[in-house]
Amino acid sequence: MKAKEKLIPKPDETASTANAPQAAASVIGVSKRFGKTSVLENISFDVAEGEVLVLLGASGSGKTTILRIIAGLEMPYTGKVILHGKDVTELPARERGVGVIFQSYALFPKMTVEKNIGYGLRIRKRPRKEIRKTVDDLLSLVQLNEHRKKYPSQLSGGQQQRVAIARTLAYNPEVLLFDEPFGALDTQTRVHLRREIRALLRKVNVPAIFITHDQEEALELGDRVAVLNVGHIEQIGTPFEIYNHPATEYVATFLGAANILDAVVRKDSLEVGAVQIPATLDPEKFKQGDCVKIVFRPEDVSLSKSDFMRPGLVRISAAFIEEITFVGAYERLRLQLERPGEKGCKTDDTPYYLTTETPDRPVPKSIIATRPKPEASATRFHIGERVTVALTSFTVLPQDGAKPNSVP
Amino acid sequence: MSTIAPAMRHVRGFDVVRPLSIGMLLFMMLPLVFLPLASIFIFGTSSGLNRFWAALTAPEAIFALKLSMATSFWATVFNVIFGLFAAYVLSRYNFWGRNALIVTISLPTAIPTAVAGFALLLLWGPYGTLGRFLTPHGFQMMFTAGAIILANIFVTFPLAFGVIKPVFDTMSRSLEEASATIGATRWQTFWHVTLPSLRGAIVSGALLTFARAVGEFGSTILVSGNLAGRTQTAPLYIFAKFNEGQIEAANAIAIVLALFSFLIFSVLFFARDWLDVD
Repeated sequence: MKAKEKLIPKPDETASTANAPQAAASVIGVSKRFGKTSVLENISFDVAEGEVLVLLGASGSGKTTILRIIAGLEMPYTGKVILHGKDVTELPARERGVGVIFQSYALFPKMTVEKNIGYGLRIRKRPRKEIRKTVDDLLSLVQLNEHRKKYPSQLSGGQQQRVAIARTLAYNPEVLLFDEPFGALDTQTRVHLRREIRALLRKVNVPAIFITHDQEEALELGDRVAVLNVGHIEQIGTPFEIYNHPATEYVATFLGAANILDAVVRKDSLEVGAVQIPATLDPEKFKQGDCVKIVFRPEDVSLSKSDFMRPGLVRISAAFIEEITFVGAYERLRLQLERPGEKGCKTDDTPYYLTTETPDRPVPKSIIATRPKPEASATRFHIGERVTVALTSFTVLPQDGAKPNSVP
Repeated sequence: MSTIAPAMRHVRGFDVVRPLSIGMLLFMMLPLVFLPLASIFIFGTSSGLNRFWAALTAPEAIFALKLSMATSFWATVFNVIFGLFAAYVLSRYNFWGRNALIVTISLPTAIPTAVAGFALLLLWGPYGTLGRFLTPHGFQMMFTAGAIILANIFVTFPLAFGVIKPVFDTMSRSLEEASATIGATRWQTFWHVTLPSLRGAIVSGALLTFARAVGEFGSTILVSGNLAGRTQTAPLYIFAKFNEGQIEAANAIAIVLALFSFLIFSVLFFARDWLDVD
């Protein structure tokens, strides 16, 4: 593709003598306050050349503020923003050369598609020939050739978004910043578009930072995902890492349904209620007698009618089936764990999905499990049935502030 | 779905309320609007088109029309530029006294025009607050075309501002932010992004201001001195000729002004779509 060579920023163009493989964009120790409220606390991360980083967080987590600080639309309280080795913290937005794709696309309504795309070059006073060539290349890159004379209001949401991306690519941006780019679209278009944009980004090889509150979107789009929670980064890692090995309970629950059980660390095992689960834990992090949380996803739960366990599975308890729901691609079951002779850590036991229950009445521990269709139709369960619960995998997290109430 | 549509009508067949209410509306407007307007035309042309044409092309009449157009034009130019600037400042920046300023800008339309003219006289007139220092040096603004422009500016002050400001307020900030991140300076952003979005508001603001300035009477008669052939605008001409008993002369100009207003408001009404979007 012709446009490709043009659009890849040449590494030797950056005036830097950095030693290691240099990050395309770095945020170092950024914090931000609005008045007296702190919205960002010591945020640091790097984005490598051609990498896609997703900032995932609920509204109010400060993700938009990070984006605006990188773009130069907001000043950080402390910290630095480095683009290709150059400290741009003090530079105004227009001198940073970043490309921002706004949630509303912010296309100029009185300019045609081609005028919008050529805007960056026109204000840079580039020769008309060059502008026309770049616009032509970009129009074919985003496949909008036949719409070049149209106005933004005549385009669909997805087309407008492609124009917005092409408009920023025209001036070889240092980094692309996407502010909730799919927020205004319906689910189908959203899924379709993010795949399209993912492919486009691979083609142009420009580093990109997305912000979103949609975990599915984050997992699919990102080379790495940073999970934000009220102004700080909880965890940053590949989608596989953050989904399968969440570092905190917040990450575990934010990235989809998660079951959480309290446990106590014993020698070579974890004690969940009356059950011992064989586990080898990092002795640096966990001491014997520590209270911990066992986190596992609904799809990590394996159910069987007999006590027979396939090898590799960890039996945790027996349970009664409370509810069976059909949710399209899979079947969801709510199970009440049978935990005779419960001992161990006593903490606020209420799992996140049961927060509506009154806390003063002791609630029997429930967990959620899902089973794919083939499995669900092979072995049918009915409500009230007693089954054996086992886990295919789980994560152990430290429990803050909880003390074991029974040490052997 | 078209088969459902008739069933959704509230009244089947002939709806008697409709012609009745339209008729009522027209009947009420008849003595209030239609007849006064019609009588200008009926009377103006009653003694023949030649007489009408002669009255219209009398040198003093021509002069009055020209003066009205010229003074209104300059007042419009000033007020559109000022309105644009004021709207920009007042919608972009929040500062102490901002709301008070917005009210003050809008005040001149609420003041009786005679009061406005009187106020200008008290400031710039030979014995006015500023005028008494300036007059000895040969500077006398009052009783000139300049005074008419000044009066026009005063009474039409908030019109353009009032049309432009809401458009500024509703304009998405992200357009300007997008332009900045793309690399545009503030001036480039204003010229390429902000101004085109304001085009409709600017045109309608200008037309409103102009129409209002052309018809201005109360303040003009005080500050201009009403000197025929020198500072007599079209509305003043109508008044003067009427007082002199030259009804036909007054009527000829009245017809021109009435048609002129009709034209401007037709443009404002029918070109709405063109003014707002492409």
